[in-house]
Amino acid sequence: MTDSSPRDLFPGALEMMILESLRRQPAHGYALVQHIQHRSNNLLQVEEGSLYPALQRLLKAKLVKAEWGISSTNRRVRTYQITPAGMRHLEDEISSFERMFEGIALVLNPGKSIVN
Amino acid sequence: MSWIPNIFRRRILYSDLAEEMRLHLEERTEQLMREGMSRKEAELAARRAFGNRTVLEERSRAVWQWPTLESIWADVCYALRQLKNSPGFSITVILSLTLGLGANTTIFTFVNALLLRPPAVADAGHLVEMMQRNAKASGIEAYLPLSYPGYSLLREHNRTLAGFAAFDGDPRPVSWSHNGEGQMVFGQLVSSNFFSVLGVEPVLGRFFKPDEDKLGTSAPAVVISFSFWQHELGGDGSVVGHTLVLNGSSYTVVGVAPPSFTGILIGTKHDFWAPLAMTPTLIHDPDRMGSDTSFWLFGVGRLKPGVLKSEAQADLTVLIRTVHSSDPNAATLDASVFPVQLVPSPFRGYVAAFTGLLMAAVGLVLLIACANAANLVLARATTRRRELAVRSALGASRFRIIRQALTESLMLSMMGGAGGLLLAYWSIPALLSLKPATIPVSIEAPLDWRVFSFAFAASLLSGLAFGMVPALRSTRRDLLPALKDERQLAGPRRSRLRGSIVVAQITICLVLLISASLCVRSLFNARSIDPGFSTHNIAVAQLDPGSLGYTEAQDRQFYRQLLERVRALPGVSSASLSDNLPLGTSRSVHGVHIDGFTPPPGQDSIPIQIANVAPDFFNTMGIPVLNGREFTTQDIHPESTGVIINQAMAMHFWPGRNPIGQHLKEDKQTLEIIGVVKTGKYRSLGEDPLDFMYLPLDSQPQEFLVVRTRASEEAALGEIRRVIQSLDPNIVPMEMESISQYMALPLFAAHTTGVLLAMFGSVALLLATIGLSGVVAYSVSQRTNEIGVRMALGANRLDVVRLILKQGMLLAGIGIVLGLALSFAATRVLAGLLYGIKPGDPLTFGAVSLFLGAVAFLSCYVPARRAASIDPMKSLRAE
Repeated sequence: MTDSSPRDLFPGALEMMILESLRRQPAHGYALVQHIQHRSNNLLQVEEGSLYPALQRLLKAKLVKAEWGISSTNRRVRTYQITPAGMRHLEDEISSFERMFEGIALVLNPGKSIVN
Repeated sequence: MSWIPNIFRRRILYSDLAEEMRLHLEERTEQLMREGMSRKEAELAARRAFGNRTVLEERSRAVWQWPTLESIWADVCYALRQLKNSPGFSITVILSLTLGLGANTTIFTFVNALLLRPPAVADAGHLVEMMQRNAKASGIEAYLPLSYPGYSLLREHNRTLAGFAAFDGDPRPVSWSHNGEGQMVFGQLVSSNFFSVLGVEPVLGRFFKPDEDKLGTSAPAVVISFSFWQHELGGDGSVVGHTLVLNGSSYTVVGVAPPSFTGILIGTKHDFWAPLAMTPTLIHDPDRMGSDTSFWLFGVGRLKPGVLKSEAQADLTVLIRTVHSSDPNAATLDASVFPVQLVPSPFRGYVAAFTGLLMAAVGLVLLIACANAANLVLARATTRRRELAVRSALGASRFRIIRQALTESLMLSMMGGAGGLLLAYWSIPALLSLKPATIPVSIEAPLDWRVFSFAFAASLLSGLAFGMVPALRSTRRDLLPALKDERQLAGPRRSRLRGSIVVAQITICLVLLISASLCVRSLFNARSIDPGFSTHNIAVAQLDPGSLGYTEAQDRQFYRQLLERVRALPGVSSASLSDNLPLGTSRSVHGVHIDGFTPPPGQDSIPIQIANVAPDFFNTMGIPVLNGREFTTQDIHPESTGVIINQAMAMHFWPGRNPIGQHLKEDKQTLEIIGVVKTGKYRSLGEDPLDFMYLPLDSQPQEFLVVRTRASEEAALGEIRRVIQSLDPNIVPMEMESISQYMALPLFAAHTTGVLLAMFGSVALLLATIGLSGVVAYSVSQRTNEIGVRMALGANRLDVVRLILKQGMLLAGIGIVLGLALSFAATRVLAGLLYGIKPGDPLTFGAVSLFLGAVAFLSCYVPARRAASIDPMKSLRAE
């Protein structure tokens, strides 16, 4: 079932960013949001809460796993960690995303393609 | 199937999620407060940044849900709401289906009880039942049980069976001396290995040991049935070792059979089992065990591992030929090996034909019910066009809408199926009571898992059958006119479909009604068939003092005293005895020689069915003596040679001559005809005149007492019972009934088919009437505008009535014509069941068609009248 509700990002983008962040280090939801906003120089204005449906989808697909624990700031947090399947999925996604991005770029900047 | 654990894990998943979100908001709030916001501002800002928490939580949860299952549940809830909103429609459809599915479930319960339910034995797949079969004969007549010597030989010498047991096919009525008087119980004689071969375990005590099945054993043993133990002995836990006095001898109870075990033949409900070696003492038949010409035992064996039925059959056939080696006809005797079933193979064909006929009838009723439902659903789909259009405009796919529509149909059919089960639950005891109470046969028809599966499958199929076409139809069309509330003129296609459904209903209904009428008329015919004897003011009692070990002299003494005392009773005008009654279950045949006639091929004498009767028999039974005289006491002696024949026999062998004084030979004896009586019915009510001969009854242990009374038969039966008691309190009459109760048995088949088909026919008529008037009423509602225009243009009420009637009656007419054609073919199946009426009886066909036509006319007339009362102004303004 695809989620047809409108989203600011294209489908799968948020998941990809979450996986990429988790590949660097395990994190809980709040830290993930901070990380993504920070890394994108606040260019991506996602609703913080929209992270959670994405996290649930990743959990269900067993691309990440979650565990309750205590953070360095002594808070009770649910920390997410990428699984080996998540790693593979991320790599596939990134390469297909790059191909798509390349295609879009070619269409948007026809001049460059001739140069290339 | 990860959704299964997910369903249980969900609660945890959801609470984790909620907690996680709460912590997130808390962390953000604290962060914002550190940046200098007040708590209130910070909380607000945190919530804004988070987004709509409820929606997000819902969307997160949705990830874990099993979408199809849950949307099906939503469909079910929606369907129930829809059905609740149109109770008239729902109730009509559910009741139609309840009738249709109830009839099917009921009949299936009997099919299950007779043909599908396995007997309560272990590993029935490796058990085989065995009878001898005469390859020269056909049908049921070809099957022959085993004799005891035959069984012993097969048991000793077979190489294919791990165990070979035998049982007496007939339940034996036995007098159980109990509290100073006799009580009739039923027992079965079985070989000692009977239970172990079947793999049945006792609930108490043990089953028979081999030495208990030896003639002259000092320890006569019986095993009692669970229900006898519970109901007659109060479930006494110390019953093993107790003594029962059966037919005058003592037997020790050695064990109790499990509750599920009532024998392996349908209809038997034994109170106890005794070893075969008890035959001489229990049923006082000393010669039976040694006789190689009394065939009374069914064989049942367990196949050795890896042995096929066909191999066992070949093995046993060789042995059977050995048994009969002295008999030149034995070459045609085979072993017939078949599965152990409640109704054994040789009889299954008859049962299947009868139940198959009933299944076909109720199948037709269900078809009519489904047609009704389809028509109502179609009509409703039209009124719901707007709703469907709105839903598909809002983005519901066609598949989704069809699924929703089918869910509604299935809800209806499931409710109908549940109603049908309830109907079956109530009607089964009623149908079982159609069986004459005096027949010692008990049939269990439980609602087991097979019945439930059948009801479920039938409901499912009906739901799909009547829901699919309307669902496909109603979703295949343009939204726009529906959304704009344009009233569609009843399209020709749509009304053609509905019309053909009605035609089919009328057709099927006529077939059922004609069949039912034929059976009902046949029942009345059967009732009015003259059986050749009087069918009122006669009391009948069957007695067997021989079972108590009476000697011949004691028998003679008992019957003489009985007749004397009964004849002296007030209200009794005459009484007599006979060893078997016409239309009874037993018959005996004598071979005779008559000058000028040769025996039929393959036989050395002419077989004539006979009965032994005492003086005054014809007078008591109301059988007219046409010529000569009845037997008198002078005829009752061993050297007596006088016989009485029926008129059919007189016409057959002495046409145009006076049969009185003519002779016929039986073995060495020459018999002389002293009387001719009116021909009656002897085997079945439908039979052609049969030759019959009466011999004087000297003395036999088992006899029927027939008593002609001036007063009520019930009172006479009570008096007779007291007389028997006074002669010997241990004698229990096997049957005590009025002659009309006695006649229930020969009328049973006609009675059952008549009653059942009449019931199904009425249900079919009711359903078809609802269907036809529903369709006509619907078309009236669709044509309101048209009728309004017609009336505005000058049509009068009569024209309108005629218009509507014409449409309805056209459908009915087509249905009746098709139904007539189909009935000619269908009623042929009934030929064997009908008395005194031909399957294609023109009077029945004509009258039933007219009747159905009249009912159709009425069911069109009511809506037509309503159409005529349409106010043209109102209907046009509504446009």
